[in-house]
Amino acid sequence: MVKKASPPVFFYFLLPSLIMIGIFIIYPLIYTFCMSLFYWKGRTIVSFVGISNYLDVFGRNNIQEALVHNFLWIMIHVPLCTILGLFLALLLRNIRGSSIIKTVIFLAMVIPPVIGGILIRFIFDVDVGVVNAVLGAIGLVKPRTWTNLPDTALFSLIFGSVWLWTGFSMTIYAAGLEAIPKEFYEAAKIDGASDTKIIWHITLPLLKPATITVVVMNILYALKIFDIVYVATMGGPGSASTVLALEMYIEAFYNIPPNFGAAAVIAILIGLLTLVFTIFMRRMVK
Amino acid sequence: MGKEEKKINRRDYLKYTGAGIGGLIVGGALGYLLKPKEVVEKTITAPGVTATTTVEKTIEKTIEKTVAITATPTKPPVELTVFSLWGATEEERFLKTLEAFTAETGIKVKHVKQPEEMRMLVPMEFAAGRSTADVIMTPWIAWVKDLAKEGHLIEVTDLLKKDELIPIYVKLGTVDGKCYAAPFKAWAKPGFWYRISFFKEHGLTIPTTWDEFIKLLDTLKGIPGIEAPIASGDTDGWPLTDVTEAFLIYRGGPELQEKLIAGEVTFTDPQVKAIMKELADLLAKGYFSEPADWTSQIDKLWMGKYGIYFMGNWMTIMPQVKDVKDLGFFPFPGTKGAVGGGDWAIIPKYSQHLEEAKMLVKFLAGPKAQEIQVRYGGFLPTNLKVPEEAFTPADKKVVDFLATVKVVPDLDDAVGGSFLREFRSQLKLLWVKPDALESVLEILTKAHLESTKKA
Repeated sequence: MVKKASPPVFFYFLLPSLIMIGIFIIYPLIYTFCMSLFYWKGRTIVSFVGISNYLDVFGRNNIQEALVHNFLWIMIHVPLCTILGLFLALLLRNIRGSSIIKTVIFLAMVIPPVIGGILIRFIFDVDVGVVNAVLGAIGLVKPRTWTNLPDTALFSLIFGSVWLWTGFSMTIYAAGLEAIPKEFYEAAKIDGASDTKIIWHITLPLLKPATITVVVMNILYALKIFDIVYVATMGGPGSASTVLALEMYIEAFYNIPPNFGAAAVIAILIGLLTLVFTIFMRRMVK
Repeated sequence: MGKEEKKINRRDYLKYTGAGIGGLIVGGALGYLLKPKEVVEKTITAPGVTATTTVEKTIEKTIEKTVAITATPTKPPVELTVFSLWGATEEERFLKTLEAFTAETGIKVKHVKQPEEMRMLVPMEFAAGRSTADVIMTPWIAWVKDLAKEGHLIEVTDLLKKDELIPIYVKLGTVDGKCYAAPFKAWAKPGFWYRISFFKEHGLTIPTTWDEFIKLLDTLKGIPGIEAPIASGDTDGWPLTDVTEAFLIYRGGPELQEKLIAGEVTFTDPQVKAIMKELADLLAKGYFSEPADWTSQIDKLWMGKYGIYFMGNWMTIMPQVKDVKDLGFFPFPGTKGAVGGGDWAIIPKYSQHLEEAKMLVKFLAGPKAQEIQVRYGGFLPTNLKVPEEAFTPADKKVVDFLATVKVVPDLDDAVGGSFLREFRSQLKLLWVKPDALESVLEILTKAHLESTKKA
């Protein structure tokens, strides 16, 4: 009978990784939490304030708005990316030249997010934007710079971000589709199942792992979104398009003097939200 | 039985090897960190050289380090590093000044353009006790004061000839009686710029009263091709703050700006509220365009899509201005004040070449360096010894105008804190939604009170 290796052996081999995790994850986490308990003036600790920073930050309108915006981002971005990605993957399956088309769609994903933000500004610009060119041609609405308006700024960024991320969803789904055994489809066809029934009863259930990957990655992205917002609107006009990561950046690096206590609180909040979602998704997978 | 014994031996072997490797790593790391260091001072002398050498002895090896040399016949060439926010044309012109310094002193200077994030990156270096830059050019005087209070900067009082410099610029860089920022460049936001030929073509005249100003705007509105009478610039909102502050000064006087900076009044003050309401009414009437990239708005001004554009004196050197002789400006009619600011040179105490850095800063605050810049145009000197004939006609008009008004600091730059961002951000909202004035003023007041209390 083979005995399992005793824990101490595994521990010794895990030790280097544990040290790295300790230095680069555990220590910064603990330090950030400690930072959030102090009042900072510039880069100097002034006094211990306990949870006062938390009460102050959570009471601010712009933080509450940022939290709502992050949730809106999840509610709109995740379903759109998922559905569009699946649609494109199904559409381009077994089509000649599909690899070129998929590559072109995926190109948006390899654009650095900062460049993506600049592109989104141009896309929604009143003079040179493609959105206004299309809407103007249809005569639907008067051309405006949609990222300038409080009612449309956030949605412009979300839809622009959907364009950037759909390539990722499509690629994951395309890989998932390739993994489904062809025999299932053959058997279904022999039994007389329609295309819709095949997709609903065979394809979608078997794409569950891919769907979970796409949804989890999209949610984590939506919670941490920063670059696009920073470049395209800086959270404005007012705080119409602000998000938590941007508020954290402004507290720590934009305001003079910086407020590291408040920034640490927002960082803890983002971390907690990410943790909650991750635990929730893991339970769903099980 | 034999096979089982072999398995047990392998497991034990792995256990002991793992423990040994782990112990070696941990022990080695601890040993390096905790080992004692001997410090021995030794004086080395050589003809013409006096040196003090500190010798650090560790268990493994001896390191000799020369920490101070008072005179040496073979000093390595120094190259100073200067940070600034300037790029493109401004950088090219600044390089000419640096070349003049090199020609005079033989000290080479390397200029490195920095992004706005410099105000975050530089303090991080300072916190680590180092600085890549020997001299930093910056317009953020509130930031400079913070750095000075934290002890990161060298005092430059003795480098400046105060009687040659505009007093307010020296005062702004002073903390507790010591000057830490040498004034280099002045800038101002004098008023609305326009194309002289465009005005001539449409029979427009410069307004001398408020009624004439409104009449001008109404006339501009009716000209074919005009999208809006006044162009509005955007990036993160600073062009909007410029015209708002000019309007506050116009209606409330430069004293109102000073009171806002000091926190003596805020945005719920009846006078301030009334002025902001008037501005919101102008916005609601469509006199201002929607905010767009501030440099492309200059293009559109030049193409006749806008009539006038409120901008700083650097307008005269913008590449989008095709003919500076065709460019004119006028202030809010009868205004008593204008916003002005500057760029200052500071020296981090962590600079490896302090003496050379001081020489550069002294040069930059002097008339020769500033005259080079003035001759290019779009540059207002802080040194009063720069000859008048060096000024371009466009800049001369700005200087002549500034001599008739009181120059006050930029509001959001001077107040800083969360107000800096909120002022810019909320004005972007007000520009596209003038009926949001009440909520804008509420948010501005909160940020203003917070920031002026902490100042």
